[in-house]
Amino acid sequence: MRKTNNIILETAVKVLLFFIALYSVYIFTAGHYYPGGGFIGGLMTAGAIVLLLITYDIKTVTKILPVNYRILTAIGLLFAIGTSAGSLIYDLPFLTHAFGDVHLPLLGELSIHTATLFDLGVYFVVVGVTMTIIQTIGEDE
Amino acid sequence: MAFQILLNVVLAFLWMFIKVSYDPISFVKGYIFGLLVIFVLRRYFHSRFYLFRLWSFIKLIFIFIKELILSNVAIVKIVLKPTLDMRPAIFAMDTELTKDWQITLLSSLITLTPGTLVIDVSEDNKTLFIHAMNIGEVEAEINSIKNSFEKAILEVSR
Repeated sequence: MRKTNNIILETAVKVLLFFIALYSVYIFTAGHYYPGGGFIGGLMTAGAIVLLLITYDIKTVTKILPVNYRILTAIGLLFAIGTSAGSLIYDLPFLTHAFGDVHLPLLGELSIHTATLFDLGVYFVVVGVTMTIIQTIGEDE
Repeated sequence: MAFQILLNVVLAFLWMFIKVSYDPISFVKGYIFGLLVIFVLRRYFHSRFYLFRLWSFIKLIFIFIKELILSNVAIVKIVLKPTLDMRPAIFAMDTELTKDWQITLLSSLITLTPGTLVIDVSEDNKTLFIHAMNIGEVEAEINSIKNSFEKAILEVSR
């Protein structure tokens, strides 16, 4: 079978990938005030990586993103448990979240909430699990 | 082109630092003065002055809109005809474009103007295989359209 020339797809993906990646980051950060959050952001990031997998093969994608997704899942779970257990230090019940306004020199006033870190854990777990499933199915010969 | 834009932005920042006023207005002023400096010293660069290229890109957009409207009218004529007497065909077109993004842009433009559709690109990126809906009367016309698109894209990347 002749290998087809994927020049149009590859060039389109080169441009589109960054748009999708940035939009998934926006969706992740918008979760507190607008629709969005860790789950849908993680799925969209996984979608961007799947688009890469469709365009190139698995070897190339592991060269582009040398990430072990099982370890990423573990890191995400650690984030979630760590932010939940952090309240135990202050004698508060498990899963109590703290929030407040932090003044940073360059960015000005930022309202920071520890639920964001919990969401980051969710994000990592979703990306890791989705990519693990897809890679294990894809590598089956 | 990218280098010229980057240089222009750096010059605008330099202007802001000289004036010690960090607001958007002074950035715009610095950008305009930097544009002036780059225009005067444009012979230093390998590529053309980037506003010219931007202008050719805008011209390409207008050519595309015109072609889109014209070819849609042609398709409506074919659809509303009581007799179906069109002659579909696939033909090969040699292109002078070499870079990936140029070929992608040309293929997208050809596909988005109805009546023609890019099916495949050859292995050496020199030939496009195009499916035309009505080959008999329009092959010369299609080639003229392709030449207009190709010329415009070459104009942008010069």
